[in-house]
Parts: sequence; C-alpha cells; structure tokens
Amino acid sequence: MPTLAPPQKRRVFPVLGDRVFGAFGMAAALLSFGLFAWIVWDLARLGFPQLSWGYFTGEVEDSGRAGGIGPLLVSSLLILVCCLGLVIPLGVGCALWLSEFVKRRSVAARLVTGGVDLLASVPSIVFGLFGMVFFGQVLGMGFSILAGGLTLACMILPILVRTTLSALESLPADLRPAAAALGLTNTTAIAKILLPAALPGIVIGITLGIGRALSETAALIFTSGYSIRWPETLGDSGRSLSVHIYDLALNVAGGNTMAASSALVLLALILLVNSVAVALSEHWLRRRHQTP
Amino acid sequence: MIAKTAAFATAALFATSCGKKESSQVVVLTGASTIAPIVVDVAKRYEASHPGVRIEVQTGGSSRGIADTIGGIADLGMVSRVLKDDEPTKLTAHRIAADGVCVVLHKDNPVSDLSKQQLIDIYTGKTTNWSAFGGPDAKIVVANKAEGRSTLEVFLGFLGLDNADVKADVVVGENLHVINSVVANPHTIGYVSIGTAASEAKSGTPIKLIATDGIAATTAAVADGTFPIGRPLNIVHDADTSPAAKAFLDYLMSKEVNDIIEKHFFVTVN
Repeated sequence: MPTLAPPQKRRVFPVLGDRVFGAFGMAAALLSFGLFAWIVWDLARLGFPQLSWGYFTGEVEDSGRAGGIGPLLVSSLLILVCCLGLVIPLGVGCALWLSEFVKRRSVAARLVTGGVDLLASVPSIVFGLFGMVFFGQVLGMGFSILAGGLTLACMILPILVRTTLSALESLPADLRPAAAALGLTNTTAIAKILLPAALPGIVIGITLGIGRALSETAALIFTSGYSIRWPETLGDSGRSLSVHIYDLALNVAGGNTMAASSALVLLALILLVNSVAVALSEHWLRRRHQTP
Repeated sequence: MIAKTAAFATAALFATSCGKKESSQVVVLTGASTIAPIVVDVAKRYEASHPGVRIEVQTGGSSRGIADTIGGIADLGMVSRVLKDDEPTKLTAHRIAADGVCVVLHKDNPVSDLSKQQLIDIYTGKTTNWSAFGGPDAKIVVANKAEGRSTLEVFLGFLGLDNADVKADVVVGENLHVINSVVANPHTIGYVSIGTAASEAKSGTPIKLIATDGIAATTAAVADGTFPIGRPLNIVHDADTSPAAKAFLDYLMSKEVNDIIEKHFFVTVN
C-alpha cells in the first residue's frame, strides 16, 4: 500500500499581507468576544447576588423588586412553544416549496422570497401592533400567550425560511436525480433524504429564531401582555421574561439589580433551549443512520 | 407519525386555550406604563382580600388607556398626564397619585433656587459655570437620565427641550444613581423624582431639593399641584363602568394603598 507523503509544513512566517490580515481577524474576534464578556460580567456583577432557588420558583412581588420569576419562566416557555409550533411547519414548508416545487426565477417564487425578505426588515413593534389587531381582536384571542407566540412566529418566519432554503440549496445537486432514479416519489425523497440532510442547517435557523423570540419585547407587550399570574391556559395573558426586564429597567424605581438577575436567567435559558434543540437534532440524525 | 403528533398537539393547544374560566369578575385596565407597576401591586393585595375578582393590567401608553376605555376594551384607563382638551369629555379622571420631579444639588452648593430659564441654559450648555448663579467658580456637571425614563419625559417636557438638545456630562438610569453622582461630585446638577429626593434628604444624604421658579420642592406642593414640574397619575373611566371596576377604583383612591405609592416614589394625594 503506497504511503501518503507527509503534508507540507505551513509557513511559520507568512508574508506581511497575511500577517496584517490575520491580526485584523484576531482583533475582530477578540472585540466580538470582549463585548459579550463585558455584558455577561456586568449582568453577573449586578444580578448574581439575588439568584436563589426561590427566585426561579417564586411569584413576582413588589413589582419585581422582590420575589421571583416563576410564572414568567412558564409564560416565556409557553410563548416559545406556540411560536415554534407554528413557525417550524410554516417556515420549513415555505422553504421546501421554494427549493423543490417551483422554478427559482418564476414570478411566484420571486414574489414569495421578496415578501419574506421584506418581512425580515419590519420593526418588531409593527409585528406587535399587527398581532394585537389580527390575533388579539380579529381572531378574538385578546391578550394571551397564544397571541404572543403566533405574533413571534410571524416575526421569526423569515429567519427560518432563509436558513432552511440555503440549507436545501447547498445539498449536493445529484441527490435529487439519484432519488428519482431509485423511483422514489417527491414526498419520500423530501422526507427521507433531503430534510434529514438539511436538518443541521434548519436547526441553526431554529436556534437563531429562538434567540430572537426569547429576547423580544416590543412584539409581546401588546400581544401576550403584562400579567404576572401563573398561566393556566394558553388563553391567559402572561408576561415574558424580556418584557419583565424592560419593565424593571424603565418603569420600576430601584429595579436595576433585579433586571440584571432576570437578564442573567434569560441568557442561561436561551443557552439551555438552544443546546436542547441541537442535542435533539443530533439524536434524531444518529437514530436515522442506525436504522436500515 | 409526525403529522399525527402535530395534529394532536394542535388539538391539545386549542382545547386548553378555550377552557377559560368565566366564573370570576374581571376588571381590565390598560394604559401608562408608569402607573401599571403600582396598579399591579395594588391588584395583588386587592385580589387577596376580594376572592372572585381578577384584575388584568396591560400597558401601552396613556393614549391607549383612553382609547381602550372608550372602546370598551378596558374598564379603566391609566393616564399619566392631564387629559387634553380635544379628548372626549365623557371620560372622568381620578387622580390616584402625583409624579413630581425636582432638581437636586449637593448640600454644600450655595445655589438654592433656579428658574426655568436658568435650567434651560444649564441643560443646553449655554451656562457652564456655577459662578453665573453666585456659586463657586467651577464647571457645572450636568447629569441627565437615560432615554425612556419617565422622569426625563416630565423634566424635559417642563423645559420644552428635546433630549437631543441636552448637553449632558453624565447619563444615568436610576434616581439613586443621580443622587450618588451628586454626592460624589458637589458640582453636579441632576433631577430625580421628588419622592426619592425627599426620603434621601430626610435620611441624611448630603443633597438638597432646589426650588423652581420660587416654589419650594416639597411633596405637599406636588400633591396640591402648585409645583411646576410634575404630572398627575390618573385613572379614567366612562359612564358605564362595572360595579367591580368602581369598587377597585375606590380602593386605588383609598389611604390603604399609600404605602405602595410611596414605595414607587410617587406622591400620595388621598
């Protein structure tokens, strides 16, 4: 068996241009991380001392200057569930249609892509006002977790459509004729081959969407609302953690440290939900590869 | 399989979302985000002593509170300003508290009274030295609030300035941070809610409340409306308010909620 030649050693001292470019890249990376670290440090300094088990399970007392955030955690997660429940089928379906069912240059495809891209540039407060009128008043949901979740779904739809679309488009081009040669129907090819192959890209879209959704305030103040009660049904109003942070930071005198505590919890929650999404997709992919 | 799970989940979502309880009396309030935290705290106490009543509080601004009350979406509207002349007269406004903002200086600063024009000059950077007002020969350090704070709105509204006109050296968010800045540097000028300033001055913090246009900054002057920098915190309702909403409004206007209003550093009026 012929042995491969050892890979050529990389030049230790690249030319000047490379070094300048490398230094610039490193500076940009350090600055990006520094910004993140500074925010986390500032929040931890102010907010960490108030954290305790009771903070996660307790009710909001004294406008948030005392007590905990238990009901708000539940509301936030329920809003997220409603949001993902609508946006995943809608976003993935839309991207599938664009990538597999119509010609990219057709008028219909261009209209849909243009519309979705335009949606991405709409300020979130506009989604809030739209959600209040459409879900809250026209569909009669009032101030409710469901109305908030559905409004958020509209807001993060473009993210999911775009990431799913680019994941589907970056798949090897010969997957589709190969599937057709095996006599697979379009549906089988999509469900068994294309979607699983594009899943990592779709999960990136979902995690980006989760981040946007959990940190959103303007779209939620008018839809899921301000109530600090334990939510009993999806028809109840429920304050999200992000709205609570906003309220503590701006409207409650002496609320700054508690706002930092809630922000710290929100950061941890986003990390947790995102890792669960990634772990689920990896688990699902592995299971698929094992079954014949 | 996925389709079946999704269908089941959707069905479950709607089943739970429709199972709303109708037994209790619900009072809905919408409006000013300045008033909302007070009302939420009061509501919590009220619900504890009035089982069967649910108080729902939503925000969205004073104008929204007025519109929702007229439109029947809300029983009561929270309005953190005087009703405008062109607003419908069929609404009745009740003052539950007052919000006053006063200028604070260090106790060692000899200046004790600043007129509206002098404040405008200081905050727009036209006057930059305390000697102009008979103070020491030192640069005036201007502390401003962060954008979005209600005290900023009230103060700049009184001066007739936009936040863009203000030349600030320090920008802080909380009333207490303004007071800390004044304590740390005796040449600082700042403004805070009168409730905070009065309680800090009383507890020995070396600050003083500055008279504006010759009117001393006291909570009493805010309560009777003579102090120029301030606004009422109103609850509005129309003629067909439900008895449950009326009862809650009466509670909001009673002495029993004064401790909550003071905790939010507003001035009690009832």
